[in-house]
Amino acid sequence: MPIIEVENFAKKYPLPDNKNETFFAVNGVSLHIDKGEIFGILGPNGAGKTTTLEMLEGLVDIDGGHATIDGIDVQSHPFKVKGIIGVQLQANEYFDNLSLVELLTLFGALYSREIDPENLLGKVNLLDKAKAKPANLSGGQKQRFSIACALVNDPKVLFLDEPTTGLDPQAKRNLWDLVTELNNTGMTIVLTTHNMEEAESLCHRIAIMDHGKIVAEGTPQQLILQHAPEPPEAPLHGNLEDVFLALTGHALRD
Amino acid sequence: MPSKLQLHLSKVFLKIFLRDRQSIFFSLFFPIIFMTVFGFVNSGGQDPINIGVVNESNSVVASNFVQELIDSPIFNVTIGTEERLREELEAGDQTMVLVLPELFNNQSLAQDSTELRLLVDAAQVQQLGLILPVLEQTLIEIEREFRNTEPMFSLVIEDVQARSQSYLDFLLPGLMAFTLMQLSIAGSGFNIVEYRRKGILKRLFVTPIQPKDFIAAIVLARMSIVLLQLTVLVAFAVFVLDVSIVGNFAAFYFLIILGTFIFLNLGFCLGSVAKTQQAVMAVGNIVIFPQIFLSGVFYPIESMPALIQPIAYVLPLSFISTGMRDIANEGASLLAIMPSLLGIAVWLVIGFVLATRLFVWKEVAN
Repeated sequence: MPIIEVENFAKKYPLPDNKNETFFAVNGVSLHIDKGEIFGILGPNGAGKTTTLEMLEGLVDIDGGHATIDGIDVQSHPFKVKGIIGVQLQANEYFDNLSLVELLTLFGALYSREIDPENLLGKVNLLDKAKAKPANLSGGQKQRFSIACALVNDPKVLFLDEPTTGLDPQAKRNLWDLVTELNNTGMTIVLTTHNMEEAESLCHRIAIMDHGKIVAEGTPQQLILQHAPEPPEAPLHGNLEDVFLALTGHALRD
Repeated sequence: MPSKLQLHLSKVFLKIFLRDRQSIFFSLFFPIIFMTVFGFVNSGGQDPINIGVVNESNSVVASNFVQELIDSPIFNVTIGTEERLREELEAGDQTMVLVLPELFNNQSLAQDSTELRLLVDAAQVQQLGLILPVLEQTLIEIEREFRNTEPMFSLVIEDVQARSQSYLDFLLPGLMAFTLMQLSIAGSGFNIVEYRRKGILKRLFVTPIQPKDFIAAIVLARMSIVLLQLTVLVAFAVFVLDVSIVGNFAAFYFLIILGTFIFLNLGFCLGSVAKTQQAVMAVGNIVIFPQIFLSGVFYPIESMPALIQPIAYVLPLSFISTGMRDIANEGASLLAIMPSLLGIAVWLVIGFVLATRLFVWKEVAN
């Protein structure tokens, strides 16, 4: 049963080098994400992953198409939607001078909720940092903390935008475990990533985006079967990275 | 009335702002230095005038005359030979040299008028107008003593304000108004740009908080800080520099609160329009600088060229500083400063409407 339904999403932006012309950052994207799924959106830089998420989160206007989350229309009830989703953004800086506990209490207040900050910190394994300031956390700890912030409202859907970018392998694995644990409680998780290993081992289903469109969608296994090059051209075990490169080409993106 | 959420948020922001002790301290630094400097410059009144006296007479009258000059607070007397004092005058150490002739004694004074020579430095000529009457007054008094005449008139000076007012008394309310403007604009505008740059606004925007709650919380918290800072300044002025605030303190603070509200809102406008820290500084200066000079903070608006007076009078800081000055210096009631209050009310509405129009989550967060 889908919890997120996106039909024909479109987003226009002015061209960076010519403000009078526009281009479609997202162009006709449709998604059906089931309740309890970990859904990955993959794509090169500039493919429209983050824009798609930001349209769902109510951060940017929707220029075309429409979407519902848990039956609520995203465009007409943005504040209602914000109440049931949790969001981790790519940039995750917080107010200076507040400890993790104080920040979590603040985020709770933004949802008009009394929360138990220690309990949340325990969930993301940061209980010993309760009195620390975000500036003193390591990269992996920062990401875990921003997930804790995204959990203050017991969201039905958790959006993670490149949660493991820049993390070392230990921190990355640790974060995967956390995502899996959260998913085991029934939470639907939508994440974007460049990391094929992550998509393959973490996501139930994935969509690969390029140039604002979805070029392939399915379980990692399905995609490998359908799109991985035949054995002679590639190593014996075709992997998802081969799929990704076969679909989006080898050209460098910005 | 602020809602429970707004109060809670403002408490958090208060905590955030209060922990930034350095900026709270340094923002008080400038006004305190400023007040202290002006306090000292004006405390002694006029500096004494250096006058050299050459006494060629050895009569009692002459030495009495010299004594009278020495006793006068206006003069700083050096006694010496004409040659030496003339050199000092040329070097600029003396403002003028007075030569009492040999004939400066009882007999000659009783008979005819005696000529006193006054050597001056033409470069100091603007002070002469001030000194000559004093000198002449001293001479007239001596003359009366000799001739045993009573003065026909005597002037009794009565101060209608019944208290002395120094420039610092005049300056303080203006400086308070100016400080509250600076603190408020920086406190909202600069913070907004900083929060945007860090992506904090975007993070807040994905929660269900409404912009008005966010604005209200920042305004309440920042207002508390500014009130605290201004209280320190007022206490410093009153207790250390001996500045007098004649009017009602509650009315004085009422104006401070209204002023803070105006400039916090204007700061939100700046923060919404300017996208970078540099831009907000530049735009902030466009708002702040003209008001420093045109709003009667350092000198009265009436003393400005007639052409710019109409503009000067309608600036928000003018209404606030004028109102605060009327209360502090003249003890005016809120009713008496109605024109200023009306101007403040108009700016309150302008500031609030602009801030809520310009501060749109989607625009400021991205």
